[in-house]
Amino acid sequence: MATRAAAEVHTAVPPLSPERQVTWPKRTRARLANGLEVVLAESHTIPKFHGELFLRSGNAAAVHRGPGLAEMTATVVRTGTAKRLSRQIEEDLRRLGADLSSHAGADNSAIGFAGLSELSEPLLQLVSELARDAAFPEAEFERERRQKLEEVKLDRTQPGFLAGERLRRVLFGAHPYAQVAPTEEQVAAYKRDDLLSVYREFYTPENALLLMVGDFDSAAMLNTIEKVFGSWSGNKPAIPPSPEPAKPRGRHVHLVHVPGAVQAQILAGCHAITRKHPDWIKLGLTNSLYGGAFNSRLVMNIREDKGYTYSPRSGVNPLRQYGYFSVSAAVRNDVVAASLTEMFYELDKLRALPVPEPELADARNYVSGVFSLGLATQDGLLSQLATVALNDLPDDYLETYRERVRALTPGDLLSTARKYFDSANMQIVVVGDRTQIEPQAALFGDLDVYDAHGKHLS
Amino acid sequence: MHLKIPIENTTLANGLKVVIAPDISAPVATVGVYYKIGFRLEPQGRSGFAHLFEHMMFQGSANAPKMQHIKLINSSGGTLNGSTHYDVTNYFESVPSNALERVLWLEADRMRALKVDDENLSNQRDVVKEEVRVNVLNQPYGGFPWLNLPPIAFRNWANAHNFYGDFADLDAASLADVQSFFKTYYAPNNAVLLILGDVKSDEGLSLAKKYFGDIPAGATPPFADPREPDQSEERRGEVEEKFGTLPAMAIGYTVPQRRTTDWHAMTLLDQALHGGRAGRTYRHLVLEKQIAVEVDGGIDDIFGYNGPTQMVTKILHKPEFSSDTTLTEFDSVIREIQQNGITQDELDQLKVKFRSDYYTTLEGGRGGMPRYGLMHLLACFSLFDNEPQLVNTILEGFLAVKREDVQGVAKKYLRNDKRAIVFRRPVNASLPAGAGAKEAA
Repeated sequence: MATRAAAEVHTAVPPLSPERQVTWPKRTRARLANGLEVVLAESHTIPKFHGELFLRSGNAAAVHRGPGLAEMTATVVRTGTAKRLSRQIEEDLRRLGADLSSHAGADNSAIGFAGLSELSEPLLQLVSELARDAAFPEAEFERERRQKLEEVKLDRTQPGFLAGERLRRVLFGAHPYAQVAPTEEQVAAYKRDDLLSVYREFYTPENALLLMVGDFDSAAMLNTIEKVFGSWSGNKPAIPPSPEPAKPRGRHVHLVHVPGAVQAQILAGCHAITRKHPDWIKLGLTNSLYGGAFNSRLVMNIREDKGYTYSPRSGVNPLRQYGYFSVSAAVRNDVVAASLTEMFYELDKLRALPVPEPELADARNYVSGVFSLGLATQDGLLSQLATVALNDLPDDYLETYRERVRALTPGDLLSTARKYFDSANMQIVVVGDRTQIEPQAALFGDLDVYDAHGKHLS
Repeated sequence: MHLKIPIENTTLANGLKVVIAPDISAPVATVGVYYKIGFRLEPQGRSGFAHLFEHMMFQGSANAPKMQHIKLINSSGGTLNGSTHYDVTNYFESVPSNALERVLWLEADRMRALKVDDENLSNQRDVVKEEVRVNVLNQPYGGFPWLNLPPIAFRNWANAHNFYGDFADLDAASLADVQSFFKTYYAPNNAVLLILGDVKSDEGLSLAKKYFGDIPAGATPPFADPREPDQSEERRGEVEEKFGTLPAMAIGYTVPQRRTTDWHAMTLLDQALHGGRAGRTYRHLVLEKQIAVEVDGGIDDIFGYNGPTQMVTKILHKPEFSSDTTLTEFDSVIREIQQNGITQDELDQLKVKFRSDYYTTLEGGRGGMPRYGLMHLLACFSLFDNEPQLVNTILEGFLAVKREDVQGVAKKYLRNDKRAIVFRRPVNASLPAGAGAKEAA
């Protein structure tokens, strides 16, 4: 023991002092005549604001035209409008001290932005221009398409990406959620007209939600928004029907072969629930105990006790229509079987035995405490408000969240683990060099082997 | 541009610097302890040790055995982490403010007496090796360019070695090394304690005294000289890319000494060259010439280093263009700014953006830790400059930069004989026909 003190020291852990009330900021909610939904919250930490214009349709709703087409549309949106060329857009953003990103996930497209409070109106005007008058210049589209081709090749050299892509395929089958990125051939087939169709359908005020958090006066900001976005028009797009997802039964192992890999990326998952489901908070807390926090059972076991991995974690992934639970770790090649054994041991233990009350109390405190840390930054608060608004959760969701977490009992967790930690039907993806890991992986179920491009090898 | 962030600072009798930045707008506190030792000055033959040691600081102290630290913070509703940088190593927590005293107790306990054994060391050595694999050895472009460029660019071991650690050096590290590193560098007189958020200044200061005041000072640590000999010709090197599909290169120019006029100008020059899609390198190589797929870079953490560092441009380019063609086009961007400088309009844009980014840094969440950025700046300005109040005034130097200053540093520092280049070449690039022959349009 390296000690530098002989003097008297404080040996006992200081108790927590009385909690100060968490006060969530007042939200201003409005719906403009054109259907645009607006949520504003003031946060005066710095003289800036953060915002996001969501369109409630993403890659899943565009899949019939082409996988990843909503993402490609979002990318090209920032490259030109009726009034500004690409270079001017980028320079204007810098002139406004602003950052902007346009992107799309499975369920939503979005234009995210942040800028100086003193320059908020011109930034909103630019965001509005991108949402309403994007020009999709032919040359810009062609460049971004070629760029995307190289990106999708690169994606498939990353173990984390390959694991996630394979798990989604396995869990969702024919449902659009199965495809997290396009293939090279699909990108090569993108047409500018397809992007225009997606843009016209998705980027409408009836399909949009504008969220802003920052250093502004809400009433004045609402007036500015009305002025900038009030004349935008367009209807809600029809939602195309999706096939039912695969619901694979029985444990199965899916090995993605990466020759020369010096580590194995494990990702195992099963179907769970969406953000709107009444069990969501219970599952969140159960996950936190399992592998969702540093102080969780899985991290203690395979990192702090056994040293198999640096970065074990588990989480619940809520897509709009379906959610899934997953657990991951990048481990040494020679401990793939040992790591999977411990992952399942900890899952099954939560299904079998009630969590001791002191451990549950710690987890409740963790989940409710870190929730309120989100209050202290503009982008933290923005992401909390986005969760509430995009999932149509009740207005008092933020205010009541902590109480609801604190009311949970060992019995709640036991029943939640039994329902959603579907250990018997977990799909196990392992990305690595098959010559190093295949025999270990094969111990956990029927095994299929793929290459990085999804070709079935055996 | 004078900010008015309230800051109190003092130095305790044992040499520990203390900085309090009260802000009661949310019932949340962030605490940091920064030690003035990073991987630059770790012992020779022990590459990677500063970072391995950082892991050991979570393995137990006199009154908080292994896992207690993490358990106590998590169960108080908080998050924690640590990170190793070139010249500092930090430990930090964000918690609901009713746990503030508990956090200070924990940080003081491990500053006073680390209590770890061989089993802990062996465990964390394994964990760190998996960290290196997941971030470097098993990733496309892992460690590029932050681990690839220094051995080519620098001659002084301090600046040039493998900061994550050669596995043989990690294996050779012993418990005696851990104890001696702790005794040498982890003394209160080589550290700063920061308390930000929901705390009153006088309360913060008295808690700092209560928990840290009786930790005895150590001897002033010996610091190796990190200076570099003069460079007189371009330096180049190559590294194999095992997984990625695109050829890559990184070009680094050594940056002027911090807090000089040249440094302010160089920082804005960096913004002109990098700074996203409006930056000159991205615009030329990606948007106009369409040679590159990715271009980014700059001076990493401009306030957070205290020795030789570089402004680095990282380029991933299409395989149909050769490295020479790509470099020639990069050089044309540099030559253009050297010959013609930048316009007043461009300089004005850069300043607005720099100021806006600075605010974001101050508020800065890192993994959900409010005010991480303010904490980091206060810590670096305390340890390197003994002047935490610089957070309120440092912007002025950047906002005073003139066009001729930017052109001046471009000519003075962006010289071929002062730069280093590393090429990262894919072993299995799928080259199309006529590969490498294409000239820039």
